[in-house]
Amino acid sequence: MIDSMQSWVLTGIFGSLTLIVILNYLKQKRFQFGSYLTYTWIFFLSFICVKQLSFTIGVWVLALLSFIALREYLSLIDIRLQDRLGILGAYLTIPFMYHFVKTEWYGMFIISIPVYSFLAIPLLVTLGGKKANGTVFSIGAIDFGLFLFVFCLGHIGYLLHYGFWKPILLVLNILICDAVCLSLRGRTNKAWQEYIIKLLLPLPFTIGLSCLLSDWTQIPAFHSCAIGAMIPILVLMGHHLGDYIKEDLGVSDEALFPGRGQILDNLKSFFFTAPVVFHYTRYFLS
Amino acid sequence: MKQESRTKLLRKYFHLLIFRPIVKLIFGVGVIGRENLSGLKQFIIIANHNSHLDVLLLFNLLPVQKITSTHPIAEEIYFSKYQLVFKFVKFALDPIWVKRGKLEKKEDPFKGTKLILDRGENIIIFPEGTRGKPGEIIKFKSGIGRLVQQYPDIPILPVFLSGPERVLPKNSWLLLPFWNQVIVGPPQYCVGAHHQITRFLENILTELSESESTSRHKRNISKSQTPLSITFLGIDGSGKSTVSRAIAKNYSNSKRVCLISDNIELYEDGNLLRVQKLNMERIRHAIGSYAKTAKSLKLYKIPKLTELILRNALCAEVRKWYNPGLIVLDGAPLLNIVAWAILYKGDVFSDESCSKLITILSGEDREIPDSDPIFREFQELTFLKRLKLNNLIIPDAIFMIDVLPSTSINRIDSRGEEKQIHETEDKLSKLRHAYLQLCNVIKIQRENPVHIISGESVKEKVLSDCTEIIEPLVQTDGENHE
Repeated sequence: MIDSMQSWVLTGIFGSLTLIVILNYLKQKRFQFGSYLTYTWIFFLSFICVKQLSFTIGVWVLALLSFIALREYLSLIDIRLQDRLGILGAYLTIPFMYHFVKTEWYGMFIISIPVYSFLAIPLLVTLGGKKANGTVFSIGAIDFGLFLFVFCLGHIGYLLHYGFWKPILLVLNILICDAVCLSLRGRTNKAWQEYIIKLLLPLPFTIGLSCLLSDWTQIPAFHSCAIGAMIPILVLMGHHLGDYIKEDLGVSDEALFPGRGQILDNLKSFFFTAPVVFHYTRYFLS
Repeated sequence: MKQESRTKLLRKYFHLLIFRPIVKLIFGVGVIGRENLSGLKQFIIIANHNSHLDVLLLFNLLPVQKITSTHPIAEEIYFSKYQLVFKFVKFALDPIWVKRGKLEKKEDPFKGTKLILDRGENIIIFPEGTRGKPGEIIKFKSGIGRLVQQYPDIPILPVFLSGPERVLPKNSWLLLPFWNQVIVGPPQYCVGAHHQITRFLENILTELSESESTSRHKRNISKSQTPLSITFLGIDGSGKSTVSRAIAKNYSNSKRVCLISDNIELYEDGNLLRVQKLNMERIRHAIGSYAKTAKSLKLYKIPKLTELILRNALCAEVRKWYNPGLIVLDGAPLLNIVAWAILYKGDVFSDESCSKLITILSGEDREIPDSDPIFREFQELTFLKRLKLNNLIIPDAIFMIDVLPSTSINRIDSRGEEKQIHETEDKLSKLRHAYLQLCNVIKIQRENPVHIISGESVKEKVLSDCTEIIEPLVQTDGENHE
């Protein structure tokens, strides 16, 4: 009974998301929140694949998302010609990382990027050419992208091992926070006012949703509340970081499109939430 | 006829089912200004050229019905190296083949192109003529102006491509996925003289390249704390050693100065410091003195080359161990090698090969393929490149102390030492010309200041002339470091 109910809800969310994404794509003037929905849709596509087809396919959908996001980031940063080997290394990390997610090999999943890629990329960058000038910067920039778009996003994939509804809850909560943040953009004069409203306004919704879904996510009420309460804070931190990165990379909020910061903009909420919620779940609930 | 239409259909589906998905999925394409393309019956697309991917991106832009009626202009010789590649390119893109280089007088390079345009079909042209430096627009060839001039009714569609220079840069074999931005400007109709049209189109493409959607992150590398290096060039007996020593002494009051001459000397507060000798310096010294006793130019060559390369390596060693604020070089290794190359092969030497030689020796030779004739001319160069010894430094400022060979011979005679093999009036005069040519090339090729100072007058006068020019350099260097 519950199982069929879950399927219906999932199909309902996925169906409506698909409809909105298609309508938004067909419209001449696309609304800004549509792009957030597009990436939420990709997450749901992955979840649906996990549920209906196989875990492997679902994880590879996430890997593709990581690839697209990393590609955008690497297209925007200033790289030298000789960093190309390092960048190849960064791209090659993605299949390894998601393979470890798929095989539920926690040890490798958690150290593959912080240890192995972290060491391999500097080596590859230095093997690429003779000029030393700018090496530290290049290594830093490539590794940073890898951490944000592969390591952090990979946690959502691994969260699937701890229960199917946990990542769904996470993605939905993030969507709520994003919606609130976007609707408040530029409404208030003072930055601190904006931050407080962005923090407090989604709070009842996220806590409410977490508690509502607690039967399915199998998170006890107390921890549901805790997760619901911490997501808006983490999202806000992600937004803060994302805005700084965007500005440094030379993209403006007015002209965002895929390849020019839109993917970074839409995924920025996951930078902090995915790893923190994952480890919270792992520590307290698994 | 039937065969042709079948090929066209095949080409169309090849683009739609293979090229487009690959370009979109693996590399990613963002198009700005696609509306500029709609409603045009015929057009000429001009775009900047950085990579082989460019043409696929432009085809990606076209409406479906225009795929088979659009032809890029391609160089025949380049693609006909491999038969398979040639056939594939011919099938997939159906290009208009052109020949580059000098043509016979009556031959029209655009004969094929005009035929296509008269038929009402479209062309894609890269007016830069070749894949230039990554991300830079080089000067347009005049051909585009001449062609457009004859078709004032066909709109020109300027397209700027940003990204392919990262996906597959020239001279790189590694294809990497990066997002590409295609910016389509409004169609242009051009009339006027051909050179005006060329400049006009060049300006339009440059403007597109500066639009906001191509802006990227720019790293701000502060100038590293490498000390300013100045060098004095000149033939033997020009007094460059004396001048460089005097300059080193003069500037040692404000900072530590290292003089790299026949010996390495370190000055501080106007005094010569006693420092431990570097091992590399001992080796260089030995080789240098051996070279001085050589009996023929041929025997002189190898030890001198070794000495010069060691001298270059010493610059890094000196920086590491002595930490000077200013390095004064009595002759710069790179420049000396080039000057000697001119001396040995004076008959075949042009400004172009001189500039190439400098590029290769300074290690900035990614653009120059191994098959370049320069490597055949100077076989030592291949050797140096293979051993990765071609990383010689170019000094920040170059001073050429120019004297007549007769004066220098007099000065050498008055020293009373045994003469080196090249110290004859004829050879010195050749060497002097070599240095002057070299200075000229550097002036044109690089931003490094080059000054030619007459060394005929008394030592004090030469010294004051040099100081006058060095003073502002040293001061701005000091400001940069602060």
